[in-house]
Amino acid sequence: MMTKWPSGASAVLCVAVHMDGPACEIGHGHAPLGMRGGGRYAARRGIARCLDIFARQGVKATFFMCGHDAELYPDLMREVHRAGHEIAAHGYQHEDWELGDAEPELLERAHRILSNCVGEAPVGWCSPSGYKSRLTLPTLKRLGYRYDTSEKDDDLPYLPEIEGVEARDFIMLPNNTTSLDDWPMYHQGQGLPSELLANWIAELDALIASGGYVHLIVHPRSDYGSGTPARAAVVERFIVEALRWPGLQVVTLARLAEHCLAAPSQWRGEDK
Amino acid sequence: MNRVVLLTVNVLGTGPEEAAHPGATLFARFAHGRYAYRVGLARLLDYLKRMEIPATFFWPAVEAQRRPALLQRCLEGGHEVASHGYAFEDHSALGDREPEVLAAAHEALTRLAGAPPLGFRAPHGLLSIKTLGLLHALGCRYDSSFIDDDSPYLLDDDGGTGMVELPLNQWLIDASHFGRKLTQARAEAFMREEFDALIEESGYACLVLHPRADIGVARAARLEMMTRLLERAQTFSVTFQRCGDYAAALLEARRTAAAASP
Repeated sequence: MMTKWPSGASAVLCVAVHMDGPACEIGHGHAPLGMRGGGRYAARRGIARCLDIFARQGVKATFFMCGHDAELYPDLMREVHRAGHEIAAHGYQHEDWELGDAEPELLERAHRILSNCVGEAPVGWCSPSGYKSRLTLPTLKRLGYRYDTSEKDDDLPYLPEIEGVEARDFIMLPNNTTSLDDWPMYHQGQGLPSELLANWIAELDALIASGGYVHLIVHPRSDYGSGTPARAAVVERFIVEALRWPGLQVVTLARLAEHCLAAPSQWRGEDK
Repeated sequence: MNRVVLLTVNVLGTGPEEAAHPGATLFARFAHGRYAYRVGLARLLDYLKRMEIPATFFWPAVEAQRRPALLQRCLEGGHEVASHGYAFEDHSALGDREPEVLAAAHEALTRLAGAPPLGFRAPHGLLSIKTLGLLHALGCRYDSSFIDDDSPYLLDDDGGTGMVELPLNQWLIDASHFGRKLTQARAEAFMREEFDALIEESGYACLVLHPRADIGVARAARLEMMTRLLERAQTFSVTFQRCGDYAAALLEARRTAAAASP
């Protein structure tokens, strides 16, 4: 299969950091205190640890931020942005439920907050917990977004149909919440950090052999996710392992989206 | 000793989520099943061709109607097409509707596959006390839904006159492990330990796979895991058979034995 990635890379790794700060707890009506402080850990420790890892390894990542986390920690958002990483949108208070008619307004609110906070409008979005509706893509397109990572239905990017028309200016960059996401295998599968690393490396090798699009999701929280020292170390070891592949490049999702949208015929792009 | 492995595939696309959310348009977390259509099933068929393993694909009629070309590819690959019900109904709760639902599935699959299905696997693994009798009336030769034995057995006493049960082992179902979000190394270890002991004990094993990325083995990395498991199975001198062929051989052996007995 012909796939041409940015700058002639043979494969791409996109690291998606879903901050999932206290906005998650607050969105569910809980004070983010005590054992509900996993999101505060992301703000106090986890994000900084990510920034250190990415600086050491010389890679840029995409940080999916909730609008309300940006209201709570505007300086942290700006620090991530100043370090050259991408800020993308991830709901207002991590709304992991059906939103109905309220959805467009919430998308707009998070968009406005993130844009004002870092001085640059996000072009990427990932649904909190994978909830979407018929309103989602038309609203994102209207707001100027270029990609959505919420779908889990392919190993490669593809152009979606939006309101019955194949998009030429918006792309799906599918994520893998099954086996390249820290949450399910830590939280549900009760895996050890070392076991997750082995699983991620098996995925990396297989994906490089079957198209070359690798999309890792990590959460810098202390409870579910990769915030703590042992788990963050696994994220770094995975990146080191990926960088050993000749021709693999670590790129932000926005960079990948722009590359794919510039010449859809070069890689692959039909909706099935 | 003639050891037999049945490699079976439950063709789950978006059907389970559609049944759970009738009328809804499915996105993202509810649309994992689209991976089966876009990538998974074709990859699994290519894989079985490479491995030279004949398999049995249990198709829900609703998935077959949506993706008839993929069903044709199953047949062209030398695999068997069997019935997995109509649209993920719970047969234990269908009541008076069960005969028409089973007949509709049977009719749809007969039309799409060009021949009536020989076997059935209950959606969700749930049956009513009438299911086997209804399958018998439709001409089915086997069922493969039960977890109550290590080896095939005859279903005459359960209403499936002249039929055979090809039972499952729950720990040889990929979704039993990936549904719990285990790492694939753990899933592999669970399946390997279970398989080794079962094949030694009974000389029979039925594997159940799904062409999805979440609960199934359709991810490229997971097929590498399957290769290790299947190559290990080969070391036990097994033959891979399609369910219909195996059921027919078992029923023929019974007829021969009955004819020979005084």
